[in-house]
Amino acid sequence: MPEVLVVDDSKVMRDMVVACLRPYPGLNFTHASSGLEAIERLSLSPYDLLVLDLNMPDIGGIEVVEFVRSQDRLRALPIIIVTTRGDEASRTRALSVGANRFMTKPFTPDAILAEARGLLEEKPV
Amino acid sequence: MTASVDLADFLPAYLAEVEELLDSAHRHLMAVEASARRGAAHPKSVRELFRALHTIKGLSAMVDVEPIVSISHWMETSLRQADQAGGRLPESSVEPLMEGLRAVEQRMRQLASGKDASPVPSGLLERLEALGVSTSVVTGTARPVAVTLDEGLALASRLTPVEREQLTTGAGHRRPVRVDFIPGAERAARGITINSVRERLAALGDLVKVVPLAGPAPGGGSLTFVLLLSTEASDSVLMEAAGGEPAQVRALSSPPVSPAVDGTPAPEREPELELEEPEEARRSTGTLRVEVSRLDEALERLASLVVNRSRLQRAVTDLTAAGAPTRELRAILQENGRQLRDMRAAILRLRMVRVGDVLDRLPLLVRGLRRTTGKAVRLELDVGDAELDKAVADRMLPALVHLVRNAVDHALESPEERRAAGKPLEGTVRLGCHANASGWVDLTITDDGRGVDAEAVARRARAPVPRGSDDLLELLCRPGFSTREEVTSTSGRGMGMDIVRRIVVDQLGGELRLETRLGVGTTFHLRVPLTITLLDAIIFECAGLRYAVAVGSVEELIEVEATRVVRPAGANGVALVERRGQAVSLVSLARLLGSTQAVDATPARGLVVRQRGDLVAFGVDRLLGQQEIVLRPLEDPLVRVPGVAGATDLGDGQPTLVLDLNALGAARRPGAGGREERAT
Repeated sequence: MPEVLVVDDSKVMRDMVVACLRPYPGLNFTHASSGLEAIERLSLSPYDLLVLDLNMPDIGGIEVVEFVRSQDRLRALPIIIVTTRGDEASRTRALSVGANRFMTKPFTPDAILAEARGLLEEKPV
Repeated sequence: MTASVDLADFLPAYLAEVEELLDSAHRHLMAVEASARRGAAHPKSVRELFRALHTIKGLSAMVDVEPIVSISHWMETSLRQADQAGGRLPESSVEPLMEGLRAVEQRMRQLASGKDASPVPSGLLERLEALGVSTSVVTGTARPVAVTLDEGLALASRLTPVEREQLTTGAGHRRPVRVDFIPGAERAARGITINSVRERLAALGDLVKVVPLAGPAPGGGSLTFVLLLSTEASDSVLMEAAGGEPAQVRALSSPPVSPAVDGTPAPEREPELELEEPEEARRSTGTLRVEVSRLDEALERLASLVVNRSRLQRAVTDLTAAGAPTRELRAILQENGRQLRDMRAAILRLRMVRVGDVLDRLPLLVRGLRRTTGKAVRLELDVGDAELDKAVADRMLPALVHLVRNAVDHALESPEERRAAGKPLEGTVRLGCHANASGWVDLTITDDGRGVDAEAVARRARAPVPRGSDDLLELLCRPGFSTREEVTSTSGRGMGMDIVRRIVVDQLGGELRLETRLGVGTTFHLRVPLTITLLDAIIFECAGLRYAVAVGSVEELIEVEATRVVRPAGANGVALVERRGQAVSLVSLARLLGSTQAVDATPARGLVVRQRGDLVAFGVDRLLGQQEIVLRPLEDPLVRVPGVAGATDLGDGQPTLVLDLNALGAARRPGAGGREERAT
């Protein structure tokens, strides 16, 4: 079962992301409420997809991406960045440090589902 | 392929989360304001305020509430600039930001009541946009700090000048410290995670930065979180907060910043926090936010355990009667009963909130009142660590808000009057609270204003001059009573003491007293229960009276059609009604409750409940709806009636009986007792 780590400091936002991805069969979801918790969880167990908010306390999404890509074990982990209008400047930065996709709120459930599907299925097994 | 997800379903959760974010935003904005007045920066609160608005913006975009997206966007933009300026915000920016928060709040209320959010008020966006320009000229004044932060690791380079300053210029005996926390699966299972460690450390000082470092770590880990903070706490306390070994605590090699060296005076120790300034940093010690509904669910589960236990008890009693050796079993049962009671007490304790947290919004309220009334007011909160059931707290807050508002608006004199009376120009409103041992919480709201003029009150109420304070309170609590001629924007006509009394006395079953001295001030004493029982109830009408019954006890609501009611001959007048092809006895509730009205007509609806395993339908006239009620047990043993769980106030000030249909009239049912002459 593919494991998805959903990282956002807003619980409602995490719940929304999970609801959007739920139609994809067989996904298992884990929540992390901060960038630090995301890094902790990533270091402790394997995941198949990371959905990541940019703006979080202590360390933001960009730093999480940088951390992930600096780890051999996590180099291939697909990452979808979810963020808010006004953060577009971060887009280039996020993609350049290794994020795979970039979604700006508001997005439709279908849009993020399609991105997740693409990333999960093109991922070399 | 299509996702059948409607993000509009998230509206209730969205409203709840935005409300929390707004609370946090208000708190931080007030902290920023307090700093701005002293000309100081408050980087932490600016950052938190920014993040709250950023989250509100994102969430609002997802559920498509465009006006809130716009307002929060422009607030966020000006705060981003203040953040880049080292957390400095000009005092003049506070008011437009407050206005923005109020506009968001207003739209939240509209959404909560099922309306659309109204468009952004004219001029607000322009005012917010203008802030961005004015704050951008302020630049950070971070001075270079002579500190070497552990050159071995490239940590220092990851700190901004502002962060360095924060780390090294802590007031008092604070020192910069580095705590290394190494996460692990086994530690995570014990609840020792970076989130919990971070929270505990943040409560011990000023947490400036957390940096994850990959690479072999002590204890076999591959990741280390480095937490940098300025703290007074000892190494052992920090070590404990970090979950013990393999964590490490190290003092950062920083030579003491000597004021003489760089010529700037040592930062003065911050004055003691003003009472009205929130202590945002200190209160979040190892707490967990849980939805109340989850606790209620736990209580419900527990209730079913209790029911099960009584079944077990009956079975054991039967066994004992049959001569089986049940001594051991009975001992276990007894122990089990005690455990269940402890468990219930433990769950009820989880619902307790600190009174101080509940009163969070009062400083904001008083701040607004200061502005609208032009009176100088000081709010003193003396609430200590007293706790209250969340359900009580939520209900009581409007009453407190009302009393504080009245105190500022009506009781306190204008500065001129106060000067003439030889009083300090600044009026004081003091809110005190303490729990007493017998399950009650006492609250007092005291002002040093003009006091209540009993004669004036009597004149206005066209009543004789009240003799004691109880009579005076009685007059003040008359619906619609006002001591004011003119309507003020803050308290309307000063009405509402009736509402205060209804909340405190009728809803919560508490007490309200008044103490007042002309020219000296007024104190309201409130006494409310520590905890109350909430019930989801069906409200219905029967023989002209309203009743409530717990939703959970009703198996089904049925329509009773006269043509389907049969009265078999020889069944002692018992009526039967068909339900899913089964005959269920139909009991006239009106008759059971002793109504003298004619009750021969077939009731319109039936509440189907289970009594000792059998289904019974209680006929009622009309269903009025479903709502959450506060159950007040009937305390007088003389009026304790089987089948009556207690009373409640549905908001009309009249007591409404809450029925326990599972027990009501059970002894009278055919086959259960034989005293059958009264049933339908």
